[in-house]
Amino acid sequence: MADVLQVHDLSVDYQLATGAVHAARNVSFTIAAGERVGFVGESGSGKTTVALALLGMLRHPGRVVGGSAQLEGTELIGLPRAAHAQLRLSRIAYVPQGAMNSLNPVQTVRRSIADGLADHGQPLAGTTLTERVALLLQQVGLTPEVADRFPHELSGGMKQRVCIAIAISLSPRLILADEPTSALDVVTQRQVMETFGDIRARLGSALMLIGHDFGLMAQTVDRLVVMKDGRIVETGEVRDVLRRPEHPYTRDLIASVPTLGERRSGGTLASTDERSPVIHLAGAGRTYGAGLRRPGVMALRPLDLALGGEPRILSVVGQSGSGKTTLGDIVLGFVDPTAGAALYRGQPIASLRGAARQAYRRDVQAVFQDPYSAFNPFYRVDRALAQPLLKLGIVRTRSEATARMQAACAEVGLDPDRVLGRFAHQLSGGQRQRLMVARALMLRPRVLVADEPVSMVDASLRFAILDALRTLRDRHDVTVLYVTHDLATAYRVSDHVMVLHSGAVVEEGTAEAVLREPAHAYTQLLVDSIPWPDPDRAWGGSALRSDNGSSPQTKTGR
Amino acid sequence: MIALLRYLIGNARLAGGLLLLGGLIAFSAIGLVVYDTELAYPLSAPIAREPSAAHPFGTDASGRDLLAVMIAGTLLTMKVGLIAGALGVGIGAVLGFVAATYGGWVDRIISGTVDVLLTVPGLLVLIVLASSIPGDLDTTDMALVIAALAWREPARQIRAQALVLREANYIRMSRLSGAGNLSVIFADMMPNLLPYLGASLVAAVSGAVLSSVGLEALGLGSRSEPTLGMTIYWMMLEGAFIRGLWWWVLEPIVVLVVLFVGLYLLSSGLDEFANPRLRTAS
Repeated sequence: MADVLQVHDLSVDYQLATGAVHAARNVSFTIAAGERVGFVGESGSGKTTVALALLGMLRHPGRVVGGSAQLEGTELIGLPRAAHAQLRLSRIAYVPQGAMNSLNPVQTVRRSIADGLADHGQPLAGTTLTERVALLLQQVGLTPEVADRFPHELSGGMKQRVCIAIAISLSPRLILADEPTSALDVVTQRQVMETFGDIRARLGSALMLIGHDFGLMAQTVDRLVVMKDGRIVETGEVRDVLRRPEHPYTRDLIASVPTLGERRSGGTLASTDERSPVIHLAGAGRTYGAGLRRPGVMALRPLDLALGGEPRILSVVGQSGSGKTTLGDIVLGFVDPTAGAALYRGQPIASLRGAARQAYRRDVQAVFQDPYSAFNPFYRVDRALAQPLLKLGIVRTRSEATARMQAACAEVGLDPDRVLGRFAHQLSGGQRQRLMVARALMLRPRVLVADEPVSMVDASLRFAILDALRTLRDRHDVTVLYVTHDLATAYRVSDHVMVLHSGAVVEEGTAEAVLREPAHAYTQLLVDSIPWPDPDRAWGGSALRSDNGSSPQTKTGR
Repeated sequence: MIALLRYLIGNARLAGGLLLLGGLIAFSAIGLVVYDTELAYPLSAPIAREPSAAHPFGTDASGRDLLAVMIAGTLLTMKVGLIAGALGVGIGAVLGFVAATYGGWVDRIISGTVDVLLTVPGLLVLIVLASSIPGDLDTTDMALVIAALAWREPARQIRAQALVLREANYIRMSRLSGAGNLSVIFADMMPNLLPYLGASLVAAVSGAVLSSVGLEALGLGSRSEPTLGMTIYWMMLEGAFIRGLWWWVLEPIVVLVVLFVGLYLLSSGLDEFANPRLRTAS
């Protein structure tokens, strides 16, 4: 088979005032016609830089400093801007990360598709355009009616598929997809990846898929390229790389993929004394936007939940919009329930004042999803750690606070001298998230709400953070409410799992019972949608079997 | 220092604004030292003379030396703008932060009041206010009158900014750390909104200068103080246009144009600094 793309010795530098950063160094690879190649690596490994260089979309101060890239005989490096623009979409198409946000919000899908066609000499209109758009939408599994909708009327997965429809509108030879599903939940992710599979079967376009998830790669690509610090460290058939990774970095990455296969033994559970729960949700639910005549949207149906006794680590799983974040916010006192009551040691959380509120804050803490926004950019990171110690009256003096902070940093594997006293933007995402875990460790809360604590950190750090949650449970007797859409990590850490769908609990029970033998169809769908890092294992049944409309039935099995 | 200079080269608006306003302040400050500003009062110079060596900016029909008027007037007008603008942003910031942080009924009352008052034509109220105060309105009174309405826009804008900030993770973290409303406002929100508050102060100052010049041009200002607005009032009253006293017409207008363009450039320059989304790719 002829090669669609031949990249030879490509190097890209970012010229900064402090010196050049080598984002890609002597990168060489080929992609055959119709081949699917996955590029994996952690953030900053240069995979997106290579893609942008091929597209001629590198921004200042990024610059190609050497090498060549030939797309079926056309040299891409050094191509004039106008020629590159003509090439994009017609022969090499791009599906950017978070493509769902790159659709023009004031244009219908039809116009967005027509724009690309018109730019490449096909100004279609009337029925010709309608037919073409309908055909394209059909190819990505959408109905022709979608053409007349605006982006805000579509779900995330639909928007992503519209972006794919635009990308394939001129039958390109090569599609570059940069983390096309990173913002989507597992069910939608599978639908989108199946769409890519269909497209390849139909058009024979090659696919360059950029990502960090080995499970996803195993299910979708033929060949893997592993990048680290701007270099290719390993490349090979996806089976070979997964079965016999040669480079230690690849081995680390593969080892850090959570699956439902292995699970740590439960460990010694803390003493099971019959204390009253710290947090008790009594029929607590939340409705948004209800008016006199409107029923509003029920984000969370009334449910009962006790935190502070057994089980120690409770996972709340569900797709986006399932109400899991609302549940966390109610426990943290950021949202008041509109039905039932949220009680802290028998008192409604909203009514707590003075010393009782201080005690509540000491006992109930959180680690959030996004480590980038969790630190006030105006202050050094110390403040985020010292503030609760001083404000909540845990320590009296600054020196005592400093000692505690240093001990907590050491406990999560951070060198206090290198982390404390710096600003958040000087630290990596992983360091910031570990600091947040250190903060939680140091405060010794009774209940910790962990809202997607690992979804934004690099794979290699995930286990360290998840293990820290278990440490909290085992050593410090903390109850963890682990909110996530990722069933594999939920399975790994939790004792008990609760599955939310459209604001209602559809199934709950021990992690083993719920995730190994799901009883409810929705749980089954979620479990099937997990991409396994094993190319020979089928990716569940067809995900296009839609999940909407199934009325959630509560199934309880402790 | 070098970093600051480098930033100013990139942000031409900010640099231009600082240059114009700095020039105007330097003009007044140096003038105060080297020139006799007592000449800014009537009958201290020959009347209606063209610019000459003795009176570089000429004199007006009541015998004021116009260079002295420009020196003293620039300062007086800036003073009115600064007092009124600072009061407006100060009151507006407090109301905006309180409304956004406390929410509920507090928010509804404050935003309701602001929304209703925003529909009131400002100049009309100011004319009524200024003309109903008995006696001569000095520049401080003028500043207070203008401040009475100058807090509306800042209150609304700062409330919007604080509402966005309120949902930031670090604000939630701070609440989890036991911070109360006041601590959240002053320790967490305020520092992050400083550039924004700066930009809105400059905008408020320029609005206040505009209001004061407008009121004074209508003759509602101080008859005993040589502000820029009153100079325009006297100029129109004495028929400078018809009498061909071009220097009397031109000078206050040039100073005001420099002042407004300077404030505008500074404001949009600060906006670019405070709002990274407007930052041009550099």
